[in-house]
Amino acid sequence: MNYIVATYALYLAISVALTIWVARTLHKNGRLFLVDAFHGNEALADSINHLLVVGFYLMNIGYVSLALKYGDKAADLAGLLEALSTKVGAVLLILGGMHFFNLYVFSKMRRRALLQGAPPPLPPQAYTPVVE
Amino acid sequence: MKKLYVLYDSECELCRRSRLWLDRQPAYVRLAFLPFQSPEAECRFPGLRELRPEKEIVVISDAGAVWQGGAAWVMCLWALREYREWSLRLAHPALLSLARRLCEVVSANRYKISHWLKKAANHEELRRKLDLFPAARCEEGGHCRTY
Repeated sequence: MNYIVATYALYLAISVALTIWVARTLHKNGRLFLVDAFHGNEALADSINHLLVVGFYLMNIGYVSLALKYGDKAADLAGLLEALSTKVGAVLLILGGMHFFNLYVFSKMRRRALLQGAPPPLPPQAYTPVVE
Repeated sequence: MKKLYVLYDSECELCRRSRLWLDRQPAYVRLAFLPFQSPEAECRFPGLRELRPEKEIVVISDAGAVWQGGAAWVMCLWALREYREWSLRLAHPALLSLARRLCEVVSANRYKISHWLKKAANHEELRRKLDLFPAARCEEGGHCRTY
């Protein structure tokens, strides 16, 4: 029983700490990227950045709490480490997946923003006088 | 660049439909359509005849830069919000030669294609008109009364 409770406590502490670390990193380093994606509109970029971090916390902490009771129940120290490792590994994979999904969405937004200022793809074939 | 003039053939159904489609799309650069046969086109672009606009579609920027055929289509797509990404892809040399060839073939056969389009439109119109009339009802005597 003690081992199981210890697994849960460690799992919660490690997962929540990891979630906070990833969210802060994303918040700090994603800002510049978002500002570029929103044509230099810093207020909008900050707002979206904040909202994304809130969504990120909700999804990850939600998953961590839901997944608490699943997995092997530890009977000794080795079992505790195994169960803990499996659970934290799953959380890390999910965090990684979310991170890449976020990057994908951002880069898509950024590409669209860059398209707006794209120069003509082909040079003119000739010139003709225009009467306005 | 603020405006792109599209010089199209107003006597060809395909060209007219393409113009309407282009006109409906949200655009980064405004497209202005002029039939190449119109006096306004001649007046605005005094050197238009030398470009042979009757051969293939011509696109002219407000600064006088000219694109024709496949390149003109790439420029039209570039002006549109939803298709700019496609225009950049099409501008790649491998795809551009294909686009050019396709435009040449379509332009050379545009009246034939327009003829089919018109026919399809006529059939559709006829069907709609026929739907307006109620079907003939058969009388007891064995003959049908027509309206």
